[in-house]
Amino acid sequence: MIHSACGGTQRALAAGLGALALTVSALAFLVLSGCSHGATKPAPAPKGAVGYVVMDDLVKKHPLYEQLARYDRSIEAFDLTSTAPQVAASDPHLADRERELQKQLNEAADRTRKLIDEKQKQYQAQESAAIAAAMRGAGAGGPSAAQIAGSVNATAQQQQRGVAVQAQRDLNAYRSTLQKQDGAQVAAAQKALSDRADRTYRAKADELQSKESALSLKMASEDAPQRLALRTKLTSLALDDAAREDAQKQLTAIDRKEADALAALRNRDQQTLVALQAQLKDQVQSELTAQVAAIRKRSEGSLAQRQQTLSRQVSNLGGPVVKTNVVNGRVQQQVSSNLPPALRGRIEQLHTDYQKRFAADAKTTIADFEKTRRDLGKRFAQLHGIDGASQQGAQAQIMSLRKKREDLYGEIIAQIDREVRLIAQQRGISVVLTNIIAPAGGVDLTPDALKDIESLHE
Amino acid sequence: MNQLFTRGRAAALAFALGAAIVATPAIGANDVTDIGSLDQQALAALPQFQAANKQLNAYGAGLQKQYVGRAQHASQSDQQRLAGEFQGKMAEKQRQLFGPLFGRAQVAIASVASSKNLTVVVDKRIVVFGGQDITNSVKDLLTGVGDPVPPVSTPPPSKVGYVDQSAIDQTPKVKSVTDDFLKFKQEQDKAAADKLKGAKTAADRDNVLKDYRKTLDDQQNKTLKPMVDSTRSAIGEVAKAKGLILVVDKGNIVFGGVDITKDVTDKLK
Repeated sequence: MIHSACGGTQRALAAGLGALALTVSALAFLVLSGCSHGATKPAPAPKGAVGYVVMDDLVKKHPLYEQLARYDRSIEAFDLTSTAPQVAASDPHLADRERELQKQLNEAADRTRKLIDEKQKQYQAQESAAIAAAMRGAGAGGPSAAQIAGSVNATAQQQQRGVAVQAQRDLNAYRSTLQKQDGAQVAAAQKALSDRADRTYRAKADELQSKESALSLKMASEDAPQRLALRTKLTSLALDDAAREDAQKQLTAIDRKEADALAALRNRDQQTLVALQAQLKDQVQSELTAQVAAIRKRSEGSLAQRQQTLSRQVSNLGGPVVKTNVVNGRVQQQVSSNLPPALRGRIEQLHTDYQKRFAADAKTTIADFEKTRRDLGKRFAQLHGIDGASQQGAQAQIMSLRKKREDLYGEIIAQIDREVRLIAQQRGISVVLTNIIAPAGGVDLTPDALKDIESLHE
Repeated sequence: MNQLFTRGRAAALAFALGAAIVATPAIGANDVTDIGSLDQQALAALPQFQAANKQLNAYGAGLQKQYVGRAQHASQSDQQRLAGEFQGKMAEKQRQLFGPLFGRAQVAIASVASSKNLTVVVDKRIVVFGGQDITNSVKDLLTGVGDPVPPVSTPPPSKVGYVDQSAIDQTPKVKSVTDDFLKFKQEQDKAAADKLKGAKTAADRDNVLKDYRKTLDDQQNKTLKPMVDSTRSAIGEVAKAKGLILVVDKGNIVFGGVDITKDVTDKLK
């Protein structure tokens, strides 16, 4: 750009001022001199000294350093508690509990399969009884109906009692699991809500403190010229007592004005924090009550549903296994080809009907268990979800704190830079650097800058 | 992993060096008017750098997909090999995209520095006051028509020196001490995290953090500080022998300056 711009100027001059040879020569000389800056040595820049400051030391003496350190501690705490690998899985027993639940459910599923086997036998007995009745009706002979019916009914009642006991046992295990899960969910919800309230409170406290610090800094900056003038005046030996006292009073008045304004803001902030704390407490209580109610409602619903299903299963077994007095006592799956076509059709129909009824019953039982398993799986996923949300919240909080920390650090550095610039100008230093590894011979402006920074506290 | 480890060690040493710099009495005001500064972030915001960055990001996203596809069924050793392969590809693309841009920028900076008779140009972030800010001149050259012309003469020797702290970190003495400190810090991190989990109030939390910070500071003073002091002393001696006024980190030097890294590492052996 520099070269092309210069070239363009030369061309314009040559075209536009060709007639005025003398003028052109003079202008061209000036322009060429300017463009060949790199080729000929320029006039030396005014000589000065190079200085440096140790920025870390200055930052530590700044009035807002305590606030900066607080941000650092908060970030450090979040880093240690939220991002450390050993803490990432906040509930190390979650996986164990999930495995235990899965084991219980698998055992329950095994018992269900046994139940289904028993049902299958009962359906076969019913089918055989019905077939025997059909054959009896068709003129086929058989053993004493009352005898066989009594035996079958006794077996059925025994099976029914066994199933009822097993069903009750399953229901108790399910209830116990639900209770444990409810407890874990409530505890997790309580922790998540408390953590959130704590973060909100601390964020507000940080925000208010930042404002207090900003006000303090603003007042100190605004009053700095007046304060400096008064201090300079006070160092004058020629000052008489009255003038000295007056200057001292003015300094005191400035200090008092700043202290009063800051104290007033602090009082207001304190009230705000007290109100916020009460509000957060109510909010946590209210949300927790709602969540506990929802958790219990879900559990009660699941338990009631499970109870109904088991009752239905047991009541299905309560009906008469053999409805007629005519029984054969022999399980017959295959219909004999020697039977008359009408009877064979009837037996085939009975067989199909009982198979369908059994399949439907078994399907309901299995579906019920699958649903139970899914329901509990979802609840564990919710537990994981609460955990994950808590982790994400911590990350967001870290980001927010880092941003605030950077902003505050920027403010501090900007003010230190202003102070250092003034000192450098007063001492005739031409360049001041920071982040120096070895100050072999530069001028250290840190002590002077420290005095100025410390005066901001007064 | 290695990169992170190296970065962690560099950060620990840089922190210790920064914290331990003690202001020595001023030897005297040396006349230096030949220090320039450059806002490197402003250069990075130029359209050609932004465009290259966009291309690199797109390329990186594509590589990431390929890596996931190939690595998901691979063994751990194969995953490491693949990661190395893809990092190599990424670095090559970066060189391909940014190499010419950096080369052009370096010529522009050298050209401006020469025209202003500067012996060194440092990153603007370490300049508190003064110096010649050449950012706009360099931007003008880079956005103008044609390539910047390299200066005909080399810059005169500078009074500002620099060291490559990462090279100093790799000297056996420094490496051993920083490794030990990092191991100690990891143990303290874990212990503090455990204690924080048990902290019930904000005051408990603050106490845990204060203890944690104090333990680290104490250990730092005990192990890192003596090494940092001797390193700083070596840098100072080399700087004086070479007639330098200040020594900064290599990362803050944009152009010129005197590299004293080898002299310092030789002295530390």
